[in-house]
Amino acid sequence: MDWDQFDLNPKTIAALKKADIKSVKEILNLSGADLQRLMKLSSADIQCLLKTVSRMLRRNSMLTALQLYQDKDHLTSQHQKLSLGCSVLDNLLKGGIPLVGITELAGESSAGKTQICLQLCLCVQYPYKYGGLESGAVYICTEDVFPSKRLQQLIDQQHKLRADVPAEVIQKIRFGNSIFIERAADLDTFQQCITRRLSLLLARGMVRLVVIDSLAALFRCEFGPSESALKARYLQTFGAQLHSLSTRFRTPIMCINQVWAVGNRVTPALGITWSNQLLMRLMVSRVSLPGHSSGVASHCAASMRTLSVVFAPHLPPSFCYYTVQLEGVKGIK
Amino acid sequence: MQREVGTLPLAPALRARLAAAGFQTAQELLDTGPCGLSKEIGISREEALEALQVVRQECHGDAARTAGGSGATRRCTALELLEEEQTQGFIITFCSALDNILGGGVQLTKITEICGASGVGKTQLCMQLAVDVQIPECFGGVAGEAVFIDTEGSFMVDRVVDIAAACVQHCHLIAEAQQEEDHRKALETFSLENILSHIYYFRCRDYIELLAQVYLLPEFLSEHSKVRLVVIDGIAFPFRHDFEDLSLRTRLLNGLAQQLIIIANDHKSAVVLTNQMTTRIGQSQSTLVPALGESWGHAATVRLIFHWDNSQRLATLYKSPSQKESTIAYHITSHGFRDVQPPAVTHSAEGTEMNPRKRPRTEEEKQ
Repeated sequence: MDWDQFDLNPKTIAALKKADIKSVKEILNLSGADLQRLMKLSSADIQCLLKTVSRMLRRNSMLTALQLYQDKDHLTSQHQKLSLGCSVLDNLLKGGIPLVGITELAGESSAGKTQICLQLCLCVQYPYKYGGLESGAVYICTEDVFPSKRLQQLIDQQHKLRADVPAEVIQKIRFGNSIFIERAADLDTFQQCITRRLSLLLARGMVRLVVIDSLAALFRCEFGPSESALKARYLQTFGAQLHSLSTRFRTPIMCINQVWAVGNRVTPALGITWSNQLLMRLMVSRVSLPGHSSGVASHCAASMRTLSVVFAPHLPPSFCYYTVQLEGVKGIK
Repeated sequence: MQREVGTLPLAPALRARLAAAGFQTAQELLDTGPCGLSKEIGISREEALEALQVVRQECHGDAARTAGGSGATRRCTALELLEEEQTQGFIITFCSALDNILGGGVQLTKITEICGASGVGKTQLCMQLAVDVQIPECFGGVAGEAVFIDTEGSFMVDRVVDIAAACVQHCHLIAEAQQEEDHRKALETFSLENILSHIYYFRCRDYIELLAQVYLLPEFLSEHSKVRLVVIDGIAFPFRHDFEDLSLRTRLLNGLAQQLIIIANDHKSAVVLTNQMTTRIGQSQSTLVPALGESWGHAATVRLIFHWDNSQRLATLYKSPSQKESTIAYHITSHGFRDVQPPAVTHSAEGTEMNPRKRPRTEEEKQ
């Protein structure tokens, strides 16, 4: 660290170099008394040092809420969201998936979680004015094989799903080329994937969406009840790393999660340690119509699902119905 | 800060150079900084730094003399403290049940901690308070401004807009009902844009940025003297990973708590922190407790725990120096933080509805 570029007393700079302090983080980690002892400076000098390095670190960091509200630049605005490719679903989420933070999609198996995430992998590739982010997606599989055939079906039917987009725009997008599929069947591989592969793809601007399908699978076999502290540490570390990547690159992270039955209700797996890391939690489930047994239900009713907002800082708890068609997931008004 | 350069206790030669270069007030010197100063008047950086230190000390001395010395220790009697506390403002939450159990609302000069699981409404209350602190005095508010430090990225400005719009509308309704001149005048400046422009937003992405931001807060609050609320949403998030050495974390959190206590007192502001819940595994069962450990529990003066009972949101006052522990229900609507049902409009004595203090203060409050 080049201390000469800071607005510091030459006496302080010399003391920093002599004490072999190499970063702002080291300074802020030490207590005032420790700093005084280490650098042999007065407490006034130390206070001045702390304020100066804090100022350097936090230059230009203030915004008013009004500036946030009026910011319409798609590179920085909070109003920018990732569309789901369907206006009904987008309305439920007031625009779509927020760009910074981890969004969870929980539900029973075959409720439609993978379908929604595949659709997002295509939506992200559209231009900004059509709700996309003009970039690709990373799809991290932890247990099942990636559904390539279904992806191809969806790609072929994009013109039907996205009737709002001109055909020549859709034709120009090479959907298959921008979806990167990663396999991570255990915790260490997953860790490597986040710290190496994801960082690389994000830094190069090749992806603006990360899908993890699913996180719970990584924790199923490996942790007994006595290892809950270790499991919690893993979850917190993953959460923090994903959150940090999401903030740095303004990229939404979609985590698919399974559900556990608790009494007669279902709750998402992984407990509160994981839910503390989330910005938004969505749940999908199949609709059970009252008075129908599974044999009597019509084909149409059997494919009805609900997408509900469990919590989000900007949305009330609400839900809407949707179906899974050949061309993708479509909400029903 | 407006001291003329000629009156500062600097070497005459230096003063002459400063005058020749066009510097007139002490503030101009401080704004230029040592590098700029040394370049502009042709002195070494070391000399410039020493000169600025002298200037700062002089100005600080002036401020202390006029303000009665905030740095020196004040001596006062318990009676004076009591009188001061009774005139202390509260920031209302718009949920009268919650305001009642808090003794009026979120109290200035105190640290209030809100603990709860995700989605229960901590950030909603923080956003509500950032709006409510700005309510003009004639409507029962403290007419202040707010600092919002966001570590999780959950501050969604569209939601704040909804809350602020509802608050402005509420005040308009009161003004229409009561038809007083100062209400109408206050509403001229109490608008959506005004409210948003007085919420100062800082995004801290890790604990180092948070520590640095808190070091800079006293200076910021001196420059923005109308701030009456500092929110840190949430305090746990940056501290719950990345710490192999838990004793370092405890030391840093204690230091943070000390600084926040001083800030709350010196600047007559309420400090509101949000905390996560964690599972404590006991002998036979596990319970949900606030995160960050036992010693952190001493940091806040007032602790609220938000939790669920089926689908009803509840707030429990868990720790308070003067109010009794109790639980109330609250609601989060499109307008913000509210009561479960509209509170009954009573013209009878308010004392009977209020949460009784632990020790009654005067004879007439004794039941």
